[in-house]
Amino acid sequence: MKAIGLDIGSLNTKIVVMENGVISFSSIAATGEDTESVPRGMLADVLKHDNPDTGKKAWIITTGIGSKSVNIDGQQKSINTCLARGINYLFPSARMVIDIGAESSTVVKLNERGRVRDTANQDKCASGTGLFLQQMSKIIEMPLVEMANISEIEKTKVDITSTCAVFAESEVISYVHRDPPIPKSDIVVGIYASVISRIMAMCKRLGIEKEVAISGGVGLNKGLVRVLGKELGFDVLVPEQPQLVAALGAAILAKELIEKETA
Amino acid sequence: MLVVGIDIGSRAAKAVSMKNDKILASTIRDTGSDSIKTSYILLKDVLRDTGHTLSDVQYTVATGYGRVLVPFANENISEISCHAKGINWYFPSVRTILDMGGQDCKAINCDDKGQVTNFVMNDKCAGGTGRFLEMIGDVLNVPLEKIGEVSLQSRQLIPFNTICAVFAKSEAIVQLRKGVAKSDILAGLHDAIANRSYNLMKRISIEKDFSISGGISKNKGMVHKIIEKVRMEPLLCEDPQLAGAIGAAIFAREHFTGGKRKAMKIHYGYSDGSGDYFITIDNELCNGCGQCETACPAKILEIGKTEDGNTRAMVSEVSRKRVSYLCPGFTGCSKANEINCHSVCEKNAISHSW
Repeated sequence: MKAIGLDIGSLNTKIVVMENGVISFSSIAATGEDTESVPRGMLADVLKHDNPDTGKKAWIITTGIGSKSVNIDGQQKSINTCLARGINYLFPSARMVIDIGAESSTVVKLNERGRVRDTANQDKCASGTGLFLQQMSKIIEMPLVEMANISEIEKTKVDITSTCAVFAESEVISYVHRDPPIPKSDIVVGIYASVISRIMAMCKRLGIEKEVAISGGVGLNKGLVRVLGKELGFDVLVPEQPQLVAALGAAILAKELIEKETA
Repeated sequence: MLVVGIDIGSRAAKAVSMKNDKILASTIRDTGSDSIKTSYILLKDVLRDTGHTLSDVQYTVATGYGRVLVPFANENISEISCHAKGINWYFPSVRTILDMGGQDCKAINCDDKGQVTNFVMNDKCAGGTGRFLEMIGDVLNVPLEKIGEVSLQSRQLIPFNTICAVFAKSEAIVQLRKGVAKSDILAGLHDAIANRSYNLMKRISIEKDFSISGGISKNKGMVHKIIEKVRMEPLLCEDPQLAGAIGAAIFAREHFTGGKRKAMKIHYGYSDGSGDYFITIDNELCNGCGQCETACPAKILEIGKTEDGNTRAMVSEVSRKRVSYLCPGFTGCSKANEINCHSVCEKNAISHSW
């Protein structure tokens, strides 16, 4: 039986399929505008080889911001639960997971069994999210991929005092046009610091606990992860595909349901 | 008595000249990147058709976000006090003011004399500010002056559950692609902003009468939404964007103690994320002797003619935008150099902010 986890995010939809306790398939696609057709299509792709006559073939758990607006035959679970399960599967030693998505950031504290102990969540404001980074990358005219290589200050420490992405934009522009010019890499580190200060505020609210793992698309940005590690004082655990953590957690929850059913 | 009030806002710069409780002239311009230059242009604007020159102006008060950069102001007063004062001049009965500006939003309580008794402000987030409306106008391709009117044509508003300008922008694009009418999107956004402003107002006491100032109050759609939330008809002055400048002019009149107009303290420099970098020259004390010009190791001081024709020391034009790089600040400089601008100035006219 297939255990399917579907994470419908504001930017991307992620799917993970588990069969007999191991991951058999995963994919990522842009969610698109109506939040309905892409997740449905991904699900249909996964299920197309199954014979519909032999009864229930798959358990589906949906999560993410879009899961409420899609009508899929399955259960909905909160993103916090899924993140905790997913990261526990990848890194059993992790006691805290920082998820930085496109339009939200979440910090979850978990126990050794992957159960949620405490959470902090921020989805009202673009600061401290992936969208903030994207916006800034446009302004300094440096693609996100290139930004990810930077983690060291060259010359000057750049402080971005505004929290709001819109105001920070004007601040960054003024740094770009400063005379003598400030190296772009220093501005990038300043941008990271702004995102991280928001994340750290949430972490501190919960109380930082070793080990800390990162998830969500921003986890792919090695530079930011390194600066975050410096701020925490120890290295952060980074999954190979950080975007998939929540979908993986959902698949694990589906697997648990199957086990309960068959037991 | 001729006084001038100048309000250098984050987006727009406003000035008013007043003579014996009557407004002589007023002007509104974009602040631009050089507020010093802008403030001189504003001054020329409000004196042009009045037959007066700068030397006739007896007192000037500057307010707003860029108030320290107005070189000829006698005094700086916060825009919160000035808005309350300005609105009080029009409507003495007003006790609650909502000031909706380019980059912030404030709710103010004042008494019958226009004295501020309480205020709250949001300057951390672009949601609910002029910048927000500007961005949305850009996305929807509706000019800023028209968005209010367009929003009023809405039949069924689209509710926005976010106030973050960045998120609202992407949400608006999605709705636009779905084919939703621009008026419905705008109505939803106006509603969200009005709600946020109302929440700000709830943190002070909402008392009668009520007035709105700042640039956004020229937006009819927004005023309409705010009336819906607050359930009070606001008293609107002729040009609510000028309220701050008018308040500044009234302060100028009150604070003027007579005698000859004093020369100004001029601040050269800027403030950025790392701190304030201003070199201040007191033109009342400076006699243009030129000692500092030769003493300054960084060669950033020079002698030139000020706007009113006197010879005074000033920071050279090319250095003004990079003073923090060229000058190590007074503490740094006085340690390294025995002779510096402070030590040679007999009148003590020069000071550094760092």
